[in-house]
Amino acid sequence: MKRGTLNLGLTLIGIVVVLAAVGLVWTPFDPTKITGSPLQPPGWPHVLGTDGLGADVLSRLMSGAKICLLVGIVSVAGAAVVGVPIGIFSGMTRGWISDLPARLSDILYGFPALLLAILLAAAVGGSTWTAMIAISVATIPAFVRLARAATYQVMSHGYIEAARVSGIPKVAIAVRHVLPNIAPVLGVQASVSFGIAILAEAGLSYLGLGSGPEAPTWGRMLREAQDYLFNAPILALWPGLAIAVATMGFNLLGDGLRDLFDPRLREMS
Amino acid sequence: MRRSRSFLGMLLAVALTVALGACTRPETDEPRGRELNIGAATEPAGLDMITTTGAGTPFVLLYNVYETLVKLDNEGNIRPLLASEWSQTPDRLSYTFSLDPAAKFASGAPVDADAVVKSFERARGETAAESIRLKWAPVDTIEAVDQRTVRLNLSRPSNGLLYDLTGPTGSISDPTATADLNTTPAGSGPYKFVTWEQGSRVELEANAGYWGTPARFSPVNFRYFADPNAMNTAMLSGQLDMISNLTVPQSIGQFSDAEKYTIHEGTTDGEVVLGFNHANEALSDVRVRQAISHAIDRQALVDSVWGGKGMLIGSMVPPTDPWFEDLSGVYPYDPDKARELLAEAGYASGLTLRLRVPNLPYGPTSGRFIAAQLKDVGITAEVEELEWARWLDQVYGQHDYDMTVVAHVEPRDLGAFAAEGNYWGYRNDAFNTLLTEADTGTEADQTEKLKEAARMLTDDAAAVWLFLLPSITIATPAIAGVQDNQISLSFDLTTLAARS
Repeated sequence: MKRGTLNLGLTLIGIVVVLAAVGLVWTPFDPTKITGSPLQPPGWPHVLGTDGLGADVLSRLMSGAKICLLVGIVSVAGAAVVGVPIGIFSGMTRGWISDLPARLSDILYGFPALLLAILLAAAVGGSTWTAMIAISVATIPAFVRLARAATYQVMSHGYIEAARVSGIPKVAIAVRHVLPNIAPVLGVQASVSFGIAILAEAGLSYLGLGSGPEAPTWGRMLREAQDYLFNAPILALWPGLAIAVATMGFNLLGDGLRDLFDPRLREMS
Repeated sequence: MRRSRSFLGMLLAVALTVALGACTRPETDEPRGRELNIGAATEPAGLDMITTTGAGTPFVLLYNVYETLVKLDNEGNIRPLLASEWSQTPDRLSYTFSLDPAAKFASGAPVDADAVVKSFERARGETAAESIRLKWAPVDTIEAVDQRTVRLNLSRPSNGLLYDLTGPTGSISDPTATADLNTTPAGSGPYKFVTWEQGSRVELEANAGYWGTPARFSPVNFRYFADPNAMNTAMLSGQLDMISNLTVPQSIGQFSDAEKYTIHEGTTDGEVVLGFNHANEALSDVRVRQAISHAIDRQALVDSVWGGKGMLIGSMVPPTDPWFEDLSGVYPYDPDKARELLAEAGYASGLTLRLRVPNLPYGPTSGRFIAAQLKDVGITAEVEELEWARWLDQVYGQHDYDMTVVAHVEPRDLGAFAAEGNYWGYRNDAFNTLLTEADTGTEADQTEKLKEAARMLTDDAAAVWLFLLPSITIATPAIAGVQDNQISLSFDLTTLAARS
């Protein structure tokens, strides 16, 4: 049952990854060029049809998959690189110096990611980088909180005690003993954050605050499709479907991983 | 259960109240106009046309609430309004206007020479917006000859002045009004201002004591929609009687049912311009600018970006101006020619330019289209979408761009290319001389010189004129007199009537 969730998640992500990987080296047409007459229905040679300007929808979708994965990887990795060490440090120490990062991340947590991104985009202008930085910053608190809580749990174990008594430096304990033990939960969090990041990027591009107009992101494709909603509703279907598949894929993967790593659930089956 | 019964009771009570209210409404002999709801995109920034700039204010108030001595009709002709007649001395240094003796403000005060002089002095005074004040530059003194006669004495002849007086520059406000004109407009028009709910609507009502042909609608609501699709939906669901201008022409098919909607297509003054920053080294070369002009298939652009609506123009002049000349064929779509010109200019190996567009309906899509076509001739256009306020600050204000796309909607705005410090960084002394000669010469001179000036811009490829924004008005068949063109700044309600 739980394997089913995991496998479904992996399959959906697989579709997106394949789309992006192929798109990296080959697309049926140049996604930024006008290669046909506008608003062609799905057929040949434009498998998914053409958009309002006459660009190939499939090529744009593939190119969009690339951007979507890039934004996901960079923003989640960025958030983890900043958030996890802070969380572990906070979990390994006691007193105000331990509470400070936790409280600060609680405050940051209060700002919805999208609002933060809009603020940033308004201040420095919208681009793929703005979107990645904004989503990354908004994801940091999730990692800080989780790493901190997980570290607390790990710290009470005997082997940490033993390592401390034998005089191993704190940094070495963190890297060698704490990190490997909290890695599974962090993996689950990363997967879930990835789904949120993809959704946030789509939202930002939809609002015109993400990548530039020539970059075919899914969110932007969705926005462009909006003007043709009555003439060519199918244009909105493709990017919508792609966003749904990618987001659902990473969420299911997260659920699957959690089930897999949760010892209580493992014993039950 | 009990809750649902009491709810039913409440509904019944409401229904009864409404029904009884309808029965007891007193019958009046005064024919009440019917309500009119108009969908619009640009909300006013303030209600004083003299101190606030932006097209949203005159759109609602000009000719409807405020009147001018002379007005601009739908074909671009100057017609009498508050002035029943006017004359010019042979040396063209003085205009004399005779005011219509019947004219009075909504407050009942007469529109006399004093009121006109006060309004004009205010329009060229300290508090007026710069764009308004500049239009008064040729005028030396304004005098009230008698109660019904006003004379303008000019320091130099000006062909543009009378035309400018048809706009906000020449609007006459009620000198007896005590409230702030920025919140409570006071004019002599067929409509009176009622309320402005910011972000939502402006309401006008008929001015019962109007001195001319009475208003045919009351109340009139201008309802504002940030999202054009939402405006379409409101029209489709019957919440609107009119869409003042359809900003997504691709969606025109939604209104194809001729029994429910009438579509009125015409022209505007809005030239959609692909602007070049002439301070950019590559773009300062006329061959590069001409190459870009040849590289863009403008008809294909209009077809895919603006639903095939909108006319091709070749310079900064719309067809409704007397000095219009069809220059749209000067740079035919010819990628080979473009590549040739680029090679000649030394950019055979390619060129990278930033194309920074505002996030207005035509911005991002035309940016994408232009980038796609420039790629074919070896120019990489990095498209960036800017929020409107950012665009105004960075592109218009700080000139931080290489290329941009924006619509210039002001009437007769050829002079934008002559303005000191214009955002294109365009400077051409011969062009400036032509404009001055056109304004001070005879009327025939004006037409000749401005034709020449427009052609000069085109030959110099000062910009690429992508297309002229169309005016697409959607109305229900119950509304007659809808104008095809939108060439004054006013959405003129006086031509509209209800079909019975």
